[in-house]
Amino acid sequence: MAIRFLKQDQLPAFLGQLAEKARVVAPVKTDGVVQFQPWVSGQDVELDVLLAKQSPKEYVFLQTETYLKFGYEMVKPEAAGGDTAAEEADPVSVDDAAVEVAIPYETVTVEPQNEAPAQVIFGLRPCDARGFVQMDQVFGGYGGFYYDPLYNARREATTLLAVTCREPRSTCFCTAIGGGPAGEEGVDALFTQVDGGFVVEALTEKGEAALAAAGAALTDATDAQIAAAGEVKTAAGAKIDVPFALEGIRDNLHDNIADDRWHDQAMRCISCGTCTYVCPSCYCFSINDELVESTGERYRVWDNCFNPLYTEETSGHNPRAQKSNRFRNRFSHKFWYYPDKYDSLLCSGCGRCIMNCPTRIDIREIVRVMGAPAPAVAAGAASEAPAATGDAPAVAEGKEA
Amino acid sequence: MADNGKRVYTPADLVVGASTARAGKLGGNPYLPEVATVIDIIEETPTIKTFRMKFDDPEVQKNFTFLPGQVGQFGIFGVGESTFAISSKPSEKEFIQFSVMKAGEVTKALHNLSVGDKVGIRAPMGNGFPVEAWKGKHILYVLGGIGSAALKATMEYTLEHRADYAGITILYGATHPTNFTYWYDVQEWQERSDIELVLTIDRDCDGWQCDVGLVPTVLERMAPKPENTIAITCGPPIMIKFALISFEKLGFTPEQTYTTLEKRMKCGIGICGRCNVGPKYVCVDGPVFSLAELKELPDEL
Repeated sequence: MAIRFLKQDQLPAFLGQLAEKARVVAPVKTDGVVQFQPWVSGQDVELDVLLAKQSPKEYVFLQTETYLKFGYEMVKPEAAGGDTAAEEADPVSVDDAAVEVAIPYETVTVEPQNEAPAQVIFGLRPCDARGFVQMDQVFGGYGGFYYDPLYNARREATTLLAVTCREPRSTCFCTAIGGGPAGEEGVDALFTQVDGGFVVEALTEKGEAALAAAGAALTDATDAQIAAAGEVKTAAGAKIDVPFALEGIRDNLHDNIADDRWHDQAMRCISCGTCTYVCPSCYCFSINDELVESTGERYRVWDNCFNPLYTEETSGHNPRAQKSNRFRNRFSHKFWYYPDKYDSLLCSGCGRCIMNCPTRIDIREIVRVMGAPAPAVAAGAASEAPAATGDAPAVAEGKEA
Repeated sequence: MADNGKRVYTPADLVVGASTARAGKLGGNPYLPEVATVIDIIEETPTIKTFRMKFDDPEVQKNFTFLPGQVGQFGIFGVGESTFAISSKPSEKEFIQFSVMKAGEVTKALHNLSVGDKVGIRAPMGNGFPVEAWKGKHILYVLGGIGSAALKATMEYTLEHRADYAGITILYGATHPTNFTYWYDVQEWQERSDIELVLTIDRDCDGWQCDVGLVPTVLERMAPKPENTIAITCGPPIMIKFALISFEKLGFTPEQTYTTLEKRMKCGIGICGRCNVGPKYVCVDGPVFSLAELKELPDEL
């Protein structure tokens, strides 16, 4: 596929042409905060600030998504004529004479919901795109699990047009996770900023289709422009810190499961769950019902594994009663549990959890410490029995009222 | 990382029933419950009711099968759904049954159901007990309270296929004689000469003629031999914990000791992340685990 060029001043025209065919989502700065939003003509796309506060995962995996609508209805037996299933189900156990008087009974109709409008996400970063790839495995049934029709319908209707990161932040660590500022995993087309505009490479058929749809705004890239883009990519990659080596992390987390250092690491966590909400690959969710009079819906909603209610059972028993258990779960999920199931990591190194943590917890530090072999002194003391709940000094653990 | 030589499942594989995905609506939209109608309600104990349902779609009812030990999501549209063990006999074709202890929001609403009410069911889910592989062995059931619901289908299966197993022993404990679930079946089991049944209550009371004592204590007193035996336990978490210790004391290896777990589940299909114990999801990797498998997991039971 030919490498193209998009002049800086042609960006609005390019997005405008895409917007004729699909919803365009792009990073927009509002009151100083950059967030992905449905783009409307005339809006400036913010590409200088790295990164948007949240990844665009919410456009595929909705924060709140209604997936069933239902309604209850009272039916008079005569009106149900011919509906044998309903007749068989007729529960009326009063005397026969009363049955003749047609006592109404209840039915419920259930309608699955699954809307998936075509959309193009422009201006996400390679780490954001990898977040989708990591979630794809969970929702796509890899590893023998179920196929999630809600996520996949939206995912298939979504095209990811990523932008190379020219100036990585100090919190970026994508290269340590196997990605990079110009990483291509999950990216349908990659835009690299050079003098005067973007060098544009289609990486998938979806990406090619999007570029073709907005072809009027594009020209062929010159060799000089392509060379410049290559230099931008190399230079950006060199700027990224590699805070840890992946080798051994999974096994060390496994061996450190009962290690007391989890308590030390978790001490300053306030269980707010901000890291889970800004993460491009955290996907855990809860399911709730709402009913108003006779109609209602069932929806799923992002959940936060730091909340004690996440695992608390009706009996009051909580398998992860200690904050350190929950803290351990999140990092182990990303670097041990998920890799065991899907042979990849559940982290793309975007660093948003580091940027946004109110108590400045740094995932790189957690992985460096807990993903390393236990110090020799602690090894004997902390082995054998997994950490019993209740043996740790309780950090104030305000349960939600 | 993606290319690791492992099989990559396509959507088509899963829809037709590969691996844990099953035919029917679980294959198409695994979040969509089957509507069913309550046809019978049995008051088991002051806090436990058994609900029998018929799927509204006769095809679904006709084709419904499950393995002993599998679970289902059972709930009310507008309230929510929770996970329960399927407690009907695997050979039962007329209805599906769940036994529910009144405890939280969903179970309270379920306890208010009447015959004829509409409910939603997603089933079967999970792995079930490997009853086929156990043929020729002695099966020892150790259960307490509502734990009986999780083992009911498996007990029924092995009792129906009694000749396939070397022996069947059931140790069943409750806090009080009124708290035995399935008392009508227990009375039938008492009549049978081909099973050993031991009933125990926590504290003695007037008219009680069987054992007295906590389940693990009685188990150690019974001192079953581990040779060619599979030990299965289910009950309140504290009972399971001590029963597993007792099995070890009696010489049962972790490989011949099984339990079935409960967790706060949501999706039931290995996606939502709510019911993990370490790298295992109780909803798809379980709920049945051997003690050998549990020993590999973090202490988060």
